[in-house]
Amino acid sequence: MLPEGIVVQTSKPAAMDLSPASRDAMRLPAPLSLVIITIIVSLLLNLLPWGGAALLSHPDFILLILLYWAVHEPRIVGQGWGFALGLIMDVADSALLGQHAMVYVVAIFLAQLLRLRMLQLNVLEQALHIIAILFVSQGIGVLLNLSMGRAFPGYGMLISLMLGALLWPIINLIATIPRLRRRSTGVVS
Amino acid sequence: MSAFQEPFFTRGPSPLARLTFFTLVAIAIMIADHRFQALSFARMGIGAVLNPVEQALMVPGQIFSRGAAYFSDQDRLLAENRELNQKVLALAAEGQQGRLILAEKPYLDVLGLAQQRFSGTGLIAEVIRDARSPYTRKIIINKGMTQGVTAGLAVIAGDGVVGQVTAVGVMSSEVTLSTEKDQTLPVLIVRNGLRAIAIGSGRGDGTIDVPSLPLGSDVQIGDQIVTSGIDGTYPPGLGVAVVSQVEKNPAFSFAKIVAQPVAAAAHHRFVKVMLKDPAQTYPKPDVGTDDKKTARDAQANTQANGQTAAQNANAARRDRRANQ
Repeated sequence: MLPEGIVVQTSKPAAMDLSPASRDAMRLPAPLSLVIITIIVSLLLNLLPWGGAALLSHPDFILLILLYWAVHEPRIVGQGWGFALGLIMDVADSALLGQHAMVYVVAIFLAQLLRLRMLQLNVLEQALHIIAILFVSQGIGVLLNLSMGRAFPGYGMLISLMLGALLWPIINLIATIPRLRRRSTGVVS
Repeated sequence: MSAFQEPFFTRGPSPLARLTFFTLVAIAIMIADHRFQALSFARMGIGAVLNPVEQALMVPGQIFSRGAAYFSDQDRLLAENRELNQKVLALAAEGQQGRLILAEKPYLDVLGLAQQRFSGTGLIAEVIRDARSPYTRKIIINKGMTQGVTAGLAVIAGDGVVGQVTAVGVMSSEVTLSTEKDQTLPVLIVRNGLRAIAIGSGRGDGTIDVPSLPLGSDVQIGDQIVTSGIDGTYPPGLGVAVVSQVEKNPAFSFAKIVAQPVAAAAHHRFVKVMLKDPAQTYPKPDVGTDDKKTARDAQANTQANGQTAAQNANAARRDRRANQ
């Protein structure tokens, strides 16, 4: 018997943590097929013949989807995906090879840094983080091109950041549907 | 406890380490692509998969625009027709003179006075779209490797030089416009035959710079600039630009000359890729593989041949005198 006043710290399970971040861990992972389908759809959107004012101001759909999955499924989508898809976008946009790859890798790195913080917040607050991530990563892309002596393409790029942030809640809606369905049928981990 | 929880121990390298790795690889790729053009095969491979998808994605837009154009284009077509008729008349004399010059050309070739470097054969290609990059000025055309297009070929339109093929896909190619930064063209000024190098400015206004002419050179606003053809890439005499600004500041040793390109590349639907006649390219210097020995032999040969060459020259001179 222990003398009174001494409390033995036993390793008992902690109380259920119901913060959004930990609830995320209790979910089933998104099926890989969903990840791939969303990425293919976003790639198709990026490959549309954008031109004129829309060339600068259209949001980078692939980057947004990659950020979504980097935040919600960090073990499926990481910087390697960003790198590979970046190379594909470089070819598609006839850009210098490696330029989009670098931008995407930096953006996903920032998402990995901010992901636990973002998961504590609601979707609109997350969108503000997305603006910051897009600004920094696209800024690196602009600096890369300026360093090669090209002209600044214009402030239309800022519109693309805003549109990207506006798309964030929509992307959240689409990509959560299968999980909701799975829960309602009672299959919970 | 499920298998889907966050891993307790992080596996693999940290995000920062991954970032460093991927960034370094990306920079290496950029250098390889920019400096050495070493990755055209990777580009061609990815492009071969992407291009059909891009083509398919353009179909809805084309259907829409064609449907809209069907009803609205009558006026435009009439205007275009009138313009084309005027152009035919304007070019009629030049075309006929051209035929005369072409007829005379074989005699000149025999005389060895003119060297034929351009086959004159071209490939008509349709402009599919502008490249999506906001930083570069490129167009995508619908002829590629399978039609014999190679990187470096000149691309022209009815009114002048459009640019140069810079990347070749299987069924399509990228053409970098001559207004793109650092695209160089050997040119001459029509009025006085002054030779120069024209370089795309890369600025938003799509102008071309002529940076290498000294302050005292005779250049005026309105001077026409055409290709000189000395590079073997662009046939001579193609329209390039019209001088729009001449600034002679004594603080600099060169005049600042800005010109407006004559080919409105953004408005062309069809362009012509100038194919090179493989037989007419310059022979490559025959560099020996047994480096030093062959070099020494070659030197000895030239010394030995020096006298015979001189004798030959003398003989030729004597012949010519005799003929006169």
